[in-house]
Formats: sequence, structure tokens, C-alpha cells
Amino acid sequence: MSHRFARLVTSCVCMTVVGILTARGAEIASDKISAPPTLRDYEALAKLPDFGGTWTPDVPDQERQETQNMPPWTPKADQRIKHMIAEDDAGRPFPIIDHCFPTGMPSYMLFTHNAFELLVTPGRVTLLGEGDGNRLRRIYTDGRAHPADPDPSFHGHSIGHWEGGTLVVDTVAVFPQVYLAISESVGVPNNGDMHIVEHLHLDGANVNTLLDDLEITAPKVLTKTWKTTRRYYRTRQQKFGIVEGVCPQGYFSEAVDKNGDAIFKPVQFRNGIPVGPDSSK
Amino acid sequence: MKATHLKQAAALIAVTVFAANMPAGAHHSFAMYEKDKLLTLQGEVKSFQWTNPHCVLSFMVKPEGGGEPQEWAMETTSPGVLTRSGWTRNSIKPGDRVSVEFSPLRDGSHGGGIESVTLLDTGQKLTVTFSNPRDDIRQP
Repeated sequence: MSHRFARLVTSCVCMTVVGILTARGAEIASDKISAPPTLRDYEALAKLPDFGGTWTPDVPDQERQETQNMPPWTPKADQRIKHMIAEDDAGRPFPIIDHCFPTGMPSYMLFTHNAFELLVTPGRVTLLGEGDGNRLRRIYTDGRAHPADPDPSFHGHSIGHWEGGTLVVDTVAVFPQVYLAISESVGVPNNGDMHIVEHLHLDGANVNTLLDDLEITAPKVLTKTWKTTRRYYRTRQQKFGIVEGVCPQGYFSEAVDKNGDAIFKPVQFRNGIPVGPDSSK
Repeated sequence: MKATHLKQAAALIAVTVFAANMPAGAHHSFAMYEKDKLLTLQGEVKSFQWTNPHCVLSFMVKPEGGGEPQEWAMETTSPGVLTRSGWTRNSIKPGDRVSVEFSPLRDGSHGGGIESVTLLDTGQKLTVTFSNPRDDIRQP
């Protein structure tokens, strides 16, 4: 087993253990119920800017920010980041995303290459993305607060409110194991207590550009709050809508078994590239 | 620990064991390829996997010095990104003759990251759009 793969397995096991330890029984944060939406609630949505369509990230801008907008890493994190950049340049990328877990927050908004859609409904904004199988953010805009002791998750607990045409989102309780990363292969686990504030808004008169102004506070790995803005471009053509993106599908290939049934069969990897069904399994 | 959380923990462990048995990472950075170097090869398509997180093109290439055709495997991005770049899962079919422009693996083995694929029988060139969508797909 390579050192890199061993690190990945160790990371997965640690995440499992933490998942067990943080399961706190069937605690219920509050007894409040969500009231059924009214006509007035739906009418209020019509006054908000239209965030519909498919939003594609500006990947070249992501890549520019890898070098031009470095987070204020702590000295310890900075040392590791510099090593990862050197390894990346040498063709040995660190496997931040190889496990096929959701990249989580804030990576969802920072460096992923796939598109997302943004659904605005009474009391809720929902981001649904493609890739990694479970790229889902629920942002509660019904006035609730964060739970006193929220269960950690990949995307954290998010609450939001509208300031004019800007959606302000506050996110806490992201798994400490989730990477704060500047690319698919350079980053460090946030290590806990991360707090993310976002201002999502259309780019002035350019209604087909969405901007996310992020303020990321991660005291275990950053010396101060890191500010960055990410851009997304809208398409409305139905043929360019979101497609399903189940990441572990990449470990399988379509095949037919001895019963004539269509199955997914593990693939062989050659030089790190999946190249077809593994006939030994 | 309540039953619900036992189930959640079991599911997490199952995912972990599943991951541990995986032979390599399906979703990875493309830094394994020499992005500043572009090569071109022509050959006949063996398969085109329209699969998340990365699509894979396998094709057979006749060595310049003669001999049996050799298989090359090339990766590109996901079906979602390719769809918005104008590809479909039927864009490339087994038996198609293709010219593939790619960034090679750094160790020189038969693999790479796709820059473009040209279908030699029709002349159609398939590329990947990662930036601002083309003007013709921006809407009013």
C-alpha cells in the first residue's frame, strides 16, 4: 500500500471514529415546527432576484486565485501548503478529493469544477451540485438560529437572510476533517471551529454572473479571516442543466454478468486511469 | 447510542471499508499530467466511458515502427462539464478513428489528459470548456 493511499485510508478511518463519537443520540434542537407556506410567502419570493438556471464556476479565475490570493495560513499550515504545491508541480498531487466524499464547505464554492443550481423556496435556499454524489447545501432562511450544539457535517449548518438582493449565509459545524483547500490537491483539514460568512449576489447589471463573497475564519489553520470572491456564470438552456454525478461510479464500469444482467463491475486502474472491467472480480 | 446512530456509524464504516478496497482514486487532480506539454496520437477507439467523476477514452494506436496496435487510455472531465462543452455520451463510439491531443503522463506510460478529440471521419473537434460559457450558450 502506498504511503499516499495509507494516508487516505487513515483519514477515512479517523472520520468514521469521529462520526461515531459525535453521534449524540436523538437530540432535538427545538420543538418548533415549520409552518406551511402561505401565498404571501410565495409572493415575497417574486421580489427577490432570480437565481435560477445552471451556475458554472469560473475555473480560470479559481486557478488565478491559487497563486494570487493565498489564504493567511498559520506557519505550520503554510509549511505543508508549500510542500503540497511543490509536490503538485512535480506531478505528485495530494489526494484531497480521491475518497469521493463530498468536498464539503467551503470547497464547494472555492475550487470545484462542476456546476450547481440554486433553488429559492419559502424559508429555504437549496444548492444542488453535480459531482461527488452528494453536493447539497441547505440554507435555512426562516429566521431560525444555529442549533446550540449542531452535529458536524460536510457542508455544515447554514442559516441565511436576504439583504435586498443579497443572500447572506452563515455556516458553522463543518467536520474538522474537511479540507480548507485552494485546489483539488493543495489544502489542509480545517481542524475545527471554522466559520464561514457568504454574501451571494448577482454582479450588478450583469444578471448572468453570480458572485459569492466569502469570509472564512478557521482559527486552527488561518491567522486571520480570509476573504475571497468566487464567480459563476449562468446558462438557461435546458440541455445544459445539472446532471447526476455519483463519484464512486468511477470505480466501476458497465458490464453484463453470466446471467445476462446489466451490472456495474469494478474497473482496472492502469497508471491511475480506470481502463475497463476487471475480469478477475 | 441510539439505533439510528448505530446505523449511521455502520454506514460510515461500510463506506470506509469500501474506500479502503478501492484500487486507486477515481476523483483526483490532473497534476499527474504534464499540462504544459501537448502531444497528438491517432488511433481507433476501443471504448468511451461516459462516467463520473471522469470520462475515459481508450483507443488503439499503431506504433510508428510497426507492430501490434497498443492501447492508450486518456481521461477527461465529468459528463456534466462535457455536456456543457457540447459533448454527448455518443460523441465517440467504438471503431471511430480519432486524433487525440493530450497532456501525457509524466512517467511516459500510455495515458494522458485529453485536450481535444478530433473525429477523423467527420472532422468534428471536441474540446472542453471550463471558463465562461460560450456566447452562443449564454442566454438573454
